[in-house]
Amino acid sequence: MQKQSIRFSLSLFAAFGLVAALSSPVAAHHGWGGNADQETTLTGTLAAPVSLAGPHGTFKLKTADGQVWDITLAPPARTAGAGLKEGVIPIGATVTVRGHRNKTTNRFEMKTEHVTWNNRTFEVYADRH
Amino acid sequence: MRDFLAWVQASALGVAIRESGVWTYAILNLFHILGVATLFGSILILDLRLLGFWRRVPLAALSRATIPLAKVGFAIAATTGVGLLSTNATEYVGNPFLLIKFPAIALGLVNVWVLSRLPAWRAHVERDLTAREHRQLAVMGGISLASWLTAVAAGRMIGYW
Repeated sequence: MQKQSIRFSLSLFAAFGLVAALSSPVAAHHGWGGNADQETTLTGTLAAPVSLAGPHGTFKLKTADGQVWDITLAPPARTAGAGLKEGVIPIGATVTVRGHRNKTTNRFEMKTEHVTWNNRTFEVYADRH
Repeated sequence: MRDFLAWVQASALGVAIRESGVWTYAILNLFHILGVATLFGSILILDLRLLGFWRRVPLAALSRATIPLAKVGFAIAATTGVGLLSTNATEYVGNPFLLIKFPAIALGLVNVWVLSRLPAWRAHVERDLTAREHRQLAVMGGISLASWLTAVAAGRMIGYW
């Protein structure tokens, strides 16, 4: 029985390891690993309002070429703390964002550090340059 | 799937959670994790016992402690989970991990239902089980462990898609 138990524990750990190994390349809203190292700046109009409901603040930005970007902000409390609360920026307003876009070229999503609107800058990730 | 998730998101629950402040999601998330930890932790002990660990600990003693805890954990995880999903349900359209997680939970629950009707399981509180009955329960424990492990792993990965 003892030997069997050890073998079973080992296979359990192997299963955990397999899950971890298979899942490490995928990263979207947790961490910055799935985002490009260099910064991108985008200017466009607010296509969907700032939402502070989920794990991160979000909004949508439509650039001049018609592409709609998913803008990911800091977690809600931190985004609100930077002054970027729901309803502050009106739909259609011109907004400039700076951050790190998703590494996958056909995923138009950007983790955003700075949001500029109407001469105001919201540093949602103030500790990141 | 998309229609269902859109309906969940538009529900009164979804609206209420979205409008209730910047910490709501984080707090729901906290209780979801506590629920999952309680459920999985207690189930893990019971399943390992069914699979042959700690033979000297009476099964009836373990099941009396772990099953009510697992139920409480499941109730907390399920209610907070519905809340988390409703905040932004359409975000999960096409998320493959969601399609692994919910069938895994369903399998886990079917396994509970089948187990609770097995004569071997019903007998474990009254008498010692035969070797054959032990093997039967070990299979059930194995299926249980596999389904809850899959549910937890896929659940964790949803946010990384």
